[in-house]
Amino acid sequence: MADTTNPPTRPARGGTAGRRFAEPAGFAVFALLLVVFPLLAPETVVNVGVYALIYGIAAIGLTLLMGLAGQVSLGQAAFFAVGAYGQALLVTRYQVPMVVAALVAVGLAMLVALLVGVPLLRLRGHYLALATLGLGIIVTVVATESDYLGATSGLYGIGKPEFGGRRYDSPAEYFWLLSPVVFLALLVARNIVAGRVGRALGAVNDSEVAAECLGVNTYRLRLQVFVVSAGYAGLAGVAFVHWIGVVNPNAANFPLSVEFLLMSVLGGLGSVWGAIVGAFAVELLDEGLRSLIPTLLPGAVGEVQLIGFGVVLTAVILFVPGGIHGMWRSMLARLRRPAPGIGRRVVSDEDDSPLLARPGRPAPGTPLLEVRDLVRRFGGVTAVGGVSFEVRAGEIFALIGPNGAGKTTCFNMISGVLAPSEGSVWLRGERIDGRKPHVFARARATRTFQNLQIFRSTTVRGNVAVGRHLRSRAGLLRGALVLPARREERQIHQSVEETLALVGLAGDADRPAADLPFGRQRLLEIARALALEPDLLLLDEPMAGLSGGERRELARLLRRLRAGGMAVVLVEHDVEAVLALADRVAVLDDGRLIALGTPEEIRHDPAVLAAYLGVDDDEALTDEALTDEVTRAAARELANGDGA
Amino acid sequence: MTDLLQLLLAGVSVGAVYTLVAMGFVAIYTVSGVINLAQGEFAALAGLVAISATGSGLPLPVALLLAILTVVIVAAVMQRVTIAPVKRMTTLLSIILTLGVSTALKAAMLLIWGPEGHGLTPFPGTDFTLAGVAVRAQYLWILAVTALTAVAVTWFYERTLLGKALRACAEQPTAARLVGISIARASLLSFAIAGLLGAVAGVLASPVYFSAWDSGLALGLKGFVAATLGGLVSIRGAVAGGLVLGVLESLVAGYVDSGLRDAVAFIVLIVVLVVRPGGVLRQHSVARV
Amino acid sequence: MLRIRRAGVVAATAALMIMTAGCAEKETAGDSGTSSGPIRIGAVLDITGAGASLGVPERKTLELLAKQLNDAGGINGRKVELIIEDNQSTEDGAAKAMNEMVSKKVDIVLGASRTGPSLAMRAIAESAKMPMISLAANVRIVDGATWVFKTAQNDSVVLENIIDYARSKGWKTIGLLRDASGYGEGVAETLTELGKPHGITVSQVEKFAPDATDFTAQMINIRNANADVNLIWGIPPAAALAQKSYRQLGITTPLLQSHGIGNQVFLDTAGDSADGLVAPLGRLLVADQLPDSDPQKAVLTKFLADYRAAYNEDPSTFAGHAWDAFQLAVEAFKAVGTDKQKVRDYLEQVNGFVGVTGVYRMTPKDHSGLGKDALVLVTVSGGKWQLLPTS
Repeated sequence: MADTTNPPTRPARGGTAGRRFAEPAGFAVFALLLVVFPLLAPETVVNVGVYALIYGIAAIGLTLLMGLAGQVSLGQAAFFAVGAYGQALLVTRYQVPMVVAALVAVGLAMLVALLVGVPLLRLRGHYLALATLGLGIIVTVVATESDYLGATSGLYGIGKPEFGGRRYDSPAEYFWLLSPVVFLALLVARNIVAGRVGRALGAVNDSEVAAECLGVNTYRLRLQVFVVSAGYAGLAGVAFVHWIGVVNPNAANFPLSVEFLLMSVLGGLGSVWGAIVGAFAVELLDEGLRSLIPTLLPGAVGEVQLIGFGVVLTAVILFVPGGIHGMWRSMLARLRRPAPGIGRRVVSDEDDSPLLARPGRPAPGTPLLEVRDLVRRFGGVTAVGGVSFEVRAGEIFALIGPNGAGKTTCFNMISGVLAPSEGSVWLRGERIDGRKPHVFARARATRTFQNLQIFRSTTVRGNVAVGRHLRSRAGLLRGALVLPARREERQIHQSVEETLALVGLAGDADRPAADLPFGRQRLLEIARALALEPDLLLLDEPMAGLSGGERRELARLLRRLRAGGMAVVLVEHDVEAVLALADRVAVLDDGRLIALGTPEEIRHDPAVLAAYLGVDDDEALTDEALTDEVTRAAARELANGDGA
Repeated sequence: MTDLLQLLLAGVSVGAVYTLVAMGFVAIYTVSGVINLAQGEFAALAGLVAISATGSGLPLPVALLLAILTVVIVAAVMQRVTIAPVKRMTTLLSIILTLGVSTALKAAMLLIWGPEGHGLTPFPGTDFTLAGVAVRAQYLWILAVTALTAVAVTWFYERTLLGKALRACAEQPTAARLVGISIARASLLSFAIAGLLGAVAGVLASPVYFSAWDSGLALGLKGFVAATLGGLVSIRGAVAGGLVLGVLESLVAGYVDSGLRDAVAFIVLIVVLVVRPGGVLRQHSVARV
Repeated sequence: MLRIRRAGVVAATAALMIMTAGCAEKETAGDSGTSSGPIRIGAVLDITGAGASLGVPERKTLELLAKQLNDAGGINGRKVELIIEDNQSTEDGAAKAMNEMVSKKVDIVLGASRTGPSLAMRAIAESAKMPMISLAANVRIVDGATWVFKTAQNDSVVLENIIDYARSKGWKTIGLLRDASGYGEGVAETLTELGKPHGITVSQVEKFAPDATDFTAQMINIRNANADVNLIWGIPPAAALAQKSYRQLGITTPLLQSHGIGNQVFLDTAGDSADGLVAPLGRLLVADQLPDSDPQKAVLTKFLADYRAAYNEDPSTFAGHAWDAFQLAVEAFKAVGTDKQKVRDYLEQVNGFVGVTGVYRMTPKDHSGLGKDALVLVTVSGGKWQLLPTS
């Protein structure tokens, strides 16, 4: 049966030392293959190869979009057509030189993608897929109805490229002409995947909410990748139109989009290399089936290769979801000896000095976060009914209460994951309720999650690196060009090392995050949040699943952060630990704030006791008995499961 | 006025076909969250099987039954072979899987029936003219059968225990399992229902709109748009969506430009999704954190 | 260290590739023809897809003729090798196939069946200097071309017949419902141009997609335009379905069709609704009704007999286009051998070649070679083609 629980449908990130040699070698081999191919292959195969390169460029873009940004597009052919038509128009009707026209045509495709993407990328999943399919149809219809674009006959008479007096019109020549283009396209794509943007989008795929809370502007990044992907398709369209010499509305049709999809899937969504491999595979499959099927089924004529496409598409996604690239990697993995599993736990020394102090931070004691009359309703249920408190810089503020009291809901409203039904949230004097989580992050505030939201598809190091997203700047362009971003990547690497050392995860740095035990994963989330260098840190049950020793370590860490001026808000069930650690405590019950004060005050507050124990207000209990009761009640709650 | 009526009649008739396809989408989506991109192919296949059956001498009712049965079996097999084995279905996977099956089905139809379109013999009845409007008997069949089917399906999902159980599956899969509803069986049943609906659409439409190996694409996509207008989870919505879409197409083709007909569906889709994503989209919102 | 090495590797390989592209050996296309071994005739046809009803009979005809020719000894002792490719009725399929034909170094290429794909092939024929005979109708295929000819009559020739007929009936306005693809493009303009000197105008133009099945909207507009006569310009199945829709909506205005309906598929699909239409078609469909004095009768009768014997069905006018193209090529090869330039020159001066579609008179300006006399007006009666008596 298919193991699709963890299909490698996303480009792998997180470098290891061995990769540094493998990649340039891979590129060199690829370049060599491209050069040698037309010399060795028979002419009809080279002809196929030309199509493979042309379509492969579009497939690279699609793999970026689908594999990296996780968005299915069934309309890649629409941008392909825009590029093709653009080029055809400029070259035949306006006599624009070929290379200039190509730049304009690709730019046009990207512009269309931007215009279309702004509304469209608010959609998800099926809706986006079908909207892109609709886009392809609309482009076809526009091209068919427009006399300017040649209506159904389209535009023809586009000449073969000429450079330095030589025409590139044989398959071998065109193949060689395209090779550097494809090589560079692949390189740029690979750089995007390996860089900051790729990392951020990979994170979005694993957990969009966590990525947002670390400052990733999901919508904008997805839009950027969508536009880049369209640019690739447009470039393919340019290459196409100079080879075929003709473009007509069929260039935007659905079967072509399906063919691109097949190339990406077959090659493996986990790698941009897969797109080229997939393109060759699909074109060869196409040719092969076209000659094979009429011999098997005499009289069979037509798009017979479609049956192969359909079967292959289904079979690949069922049995080999990682495509050819996936198969290649599992083969390699089997050959390579697996690294030893247990990481050393690097124990930080007994140091209590302030941590992560930041010059620009408000002075300790200044109000940082203010929550006013926060209300949240879900249908008829009021989860939070009017909660107000403030959190100051340089303090640890605890939020406790029985299950279902509304603690996590409050966190969600503060961090922007949910919008309040009423009330407001103020961070450093600015109102931020109802804004998306990345805005919260940009204001140097972040959080961890009760239901862990680690990024499962990458390593420990990779997770923390996403935390540095806002502390680095390389966007799509710089990332693509690599060289300018290299220094920044090194800095990120350095910060990640430091952060990991802080929480004691340095020994696990290169392990897949999903392989860590639960307690360590909690620490990972905290490390990741710290990497952002926040002024305000919200921790949702960080102690859950930690051993006694680990809890003490964490408490010490939090004290050090407080000493450095950070504000920490803590939701916890371990009441004893909380009362020992926090400066102030707020108690919620049933969506209402029933007590707010120092730990001592809370310990004796009758309303709190009533909430936890269900005891009448005027029943007296001794101090120790009280604490015992409260602790036992809290422990019971903990044992019964989560949910706040 | 007669023009308007004529266009409305044509629109409602094709809209009814869209409705049937749309209900098929809803049937599967409400149980498993899968959007079946092969839904249109179900209709095309039914039409072609019926044409072959009548061509080899079988009486029409038998041919229809045969066609419907074939498609239901194909749908069930599709579910068993491609959907059921997948442990964790994501959007990406379901789109690609159903797309693959759709492509394979299309190609199979091409290989078996060739590239040309064929029309099924029209159902019994005579065409007539009423108030200047030419009414084909087949239109009446389409409308009547679709209306009956819509009523039956609504009754099934809202009144019978089995139907309610199916609806429960998508909303609360764990709860459904806890009360003894097998998700696997529910999914299989939903595909069979979708196959049935698609087949009925196919045989009804074939005499007028012709069946060919590639007629599934347009039909499937328009059916999806119709289902979306209704929210993808509502049968009533699918019915309304189908009729509205059919009429809109017809009016645009008649009064604006006949070439824009196919674009209407998609412009509608994009406008609706962009303008009212909340109302139409059932956002399985934020992860539980 | 590593960084420099990597960047260096990248730059070096990119440079290597660019250099190689620059030094690439240019393949010489277009030999001067060999004088022994089989003569290779390539054919790119719309065998599947929208043009299947044209491509399939064309393929059958070519196969039949090639076999007959080879059985009779070939051309000057050389056998004929027929290479047929399916372009799937798409322009890129046609271009792809044409490129392959060129690399396979065939001696001539026939095809495609329809205008769009033919246009795609034209550019390649011109640049590769490959003689090409298209089986499609639109004059743009050969307009200004050096190496491309065609055997289907120009639209203008067909439309001249229609204008003449309209004049004879005293009709002044024409309602046009045309195929939205390349087949129907330019028809409205040509019709207007030809009709102007006679005071005939096109009062309404509607379009339909080649795979359309519902024509209600268009027919309503046509009906409202109330022209003296209506013309459907398309190929089956759309043209047939449009015919049915026309009759079903009870439009009583006389109806004309184009030469695109000249096959049995049209009659089968349209059924009873075809009765009463008038169309200018090739003589093939009414060959038995022609007077013996007709110059084409002998050729037509033989073609019909041969095709019927081989395939148990009647050939369509499209099959006839293929017949003409093949025989023209054979004539050329017989006369001047396989040198492509010589073949082209020969084709350009063909005068009086009796084909199935008509009698050809090619000139450097006219690579189509057929005049309005290549068509006759035909009507449908009782489900059969009937030569319209010239009154």
